[in-house]
Amino acid sequence: MKKLFILLTLSLILIATSGMVMAEDIVIGMTANNTGVDSYQTLHDQAFREKADEMGVEYTILDARGEPMRQVDQIMDLMTQDVDVMVVWPVSGQAIVPVLRQVQQAGIPVLIANSKVDESGFELVSGFAGPDNITQGEYAAQMMAEALDGEGRVVEIMGTPGYITAEERSQGFHDEIEANYPGIEIIETQPADWNRERAQEVMENYLTKYDDGEIDGVYVGDDNMGVGAINAIRSEGRGDNLKMTSATMFADGYDEMQSGDILYGTLYQSPIDDANYTVEIAVKLARGEEVEFFNYFETPKVTDENIAEFERPVW
Amino acid sequence: MKKQITDFIKKQSIWFILLLSLIFFGTMQANFLTLRNFQNIFLQISINGLMAIGMTYLMINGEIDLSVGMIYALCAAVVIGFQPLGIIPSVLAALATGMVIGAINGIFVAKAEINSFIVTLGAMIGVRGLLFVYTGERAILGTDLRFTYLASTRIGGVFPLPALIFLVFLAIGEYFLRNTSHGRNAYAIGGNQDAAEKAGIAVKKHLIINFVLSGAMAATAGIIAASRMNTATPTLGRMNHLWVIIAVVLGGTDLKGGYGNLVRTLGGIFVIGILDNGLNLMGVHTFYNMLFMGSILILVIFIGKKFEPLKS
Repeated sequence: MKKLFILLTLSLILIATSGMVMAEDIVIGMTANNTGVDSYQTLHDQAFREKADEMGVEYTILDARGEPMRQVDQIMDLMTQDVDVMVVWPVSGQAIVPVLRQVQQAGIPVLIANSKVDESGFELVSGFAGPDNITQGEYAAQMMAEALDGEGRVVEIMGTPGYITAEERSQGFHDEIEANYPGIEIIETQPADWNRERAQEVMENYLTKYDDGEIDGVYVGDDNMGVGAINAIRSEGRGDNLKMTSATMFADGYDEMQSGDILYGTLYQSPIDDANYTVEIAVKLARGEEVEFFNYFETPKVTDENIAEFERPVW
Repeated sequence: MKKQITDFIKKQSIWFILLLSLIFFGTMQANFLTLRNFQNIFLQISINGLMAIGMTYLMINGEIDLSVGMIYALCAAVVIGFQPLGIIPSVLAALATGMVIGAINGIFVAKAEINSFIVTLGAMIGVRGLLFVYTGERAILGTDLRFTYLASTRIGGVFPLPALIFLVFLAIGEYFLRNTSHGRNAYAIGGNQDAAEKAGIAVKKHLIINFVLSGAMAATAGIIAASRMNTATPTLGRMNHLWVIIAVVLGGTDLKGGYGNLVRTLGGIFVIGILDNGLNLMGVHTFYNMLFMGSILILVIFIGKKFEPLKS
């Protein structure tokens, strides 16, 4: 009897927590990369649900927990559910390509979210929604040119090599500098794998290698690495002659920009904007409307002048 | 007569749990009891299922292999990495990799007499490092699309080939457990290793063979996973050893050794697979999903303990 009771209670809680929202007959099936591993992904998940509720569509949101095989299984489970559109935030842009072929044969449109699928999968999906990392790199280059009045030598600290986000942010920066700012020279690029401590070490090495006056700017892939590099700059007392720009703002960067002078500019990439935009495009696909292949949401520049217009990021 | 019935229930409790899960998800989800969904479930369980075959043998011995998840991931990478040499050579290379790592585990456990928990924990970490070295921390794409047919073929247009491979290996494994001296020795060693040794059983050789078997099964699972993804990725296999161990324990195999069989391991693998699939279909939030998986498993093992299978 007691066991039966426990079973019943478990079942009731299950029913209460399962994401069943009755409304318009559109159902979005989503498999996320790794919800809960960082605040960006957690906020993305919350915002995704809120936006879908607001638009009155049903959803089944699954989480691959960073495991590629699990994501493949989940994509197949979502196919069984006959969802109207599938949103996939790839754990691995390559590992999902074979199963996407099956989804395409089943006639379900797929929207890739946040991180791109391998190019061999482009023909199998309906589009991509997320940040444009190349443009973010370009914006960071433009802000660097402003900070240095178009003249100077710059070192770069990038994210993990091999990860598309890191490489696109680096590529955008390099392309923009080469195309429009002949006075600026990128003298060295080193990876710090999105890690604050690594970034601090990389910056320490740069400061040892290049004396005061030999470098004028530092470009970092995100504020997390930026804060690490700033620690190194401060402890060497080199803060007066260095300016930094970053490709993505975090809360620490927001505080740093308000309190210090080194971080000149960064970019506001909001997981909430990211999720909202993804849901909008997914609903369009489910309704059979035409969408662009690449759908990028806005990631505005933030400097000392306009920082007051932005809320402190919660990520 | 009454005693016989309760004994039967006690021995087969995993099947009642399985039945309960089927009824629960069947009533909750219209799409659960469909052919398509069961094709998915069979495909999904075959990977952990293969690893559970080797694990059952080792657990009957009173040993454990924590490195199966990483051997699985490394062999998946090897079969993709060696693809330019041809499909057959790449499959053989992956199997050899799994068996060699299994043999190393076995030698350390049997000859050096180090606890298998420690040996395979070390192997798990070491093989993960090897995987990162091999893939260079990024995914390798397969070039030969024919390799993906291994996973996508359906026998008679219905039954997934990987599931058939799993069930055939399971049947062979069960046959060997029941009808050969190697199988009977497995129980004897798990029951009392010293006594087994005194009775003239070549315990060391036996253990090494079972670790090699575990490595080979993990390699087979890796080959199937690679065929489903056509990619080698460094993030594969981090949790599989836990699910495999839980499935084997659910099936009633004694962690201390000496008791268990593969048919009930199949039941355990099914219960895990169905819970995962059913919770996915219901779209339970990921945090609650983990909480439920954990709670349900403890509950199931608790019930299983109440009806502890008779050791006869």
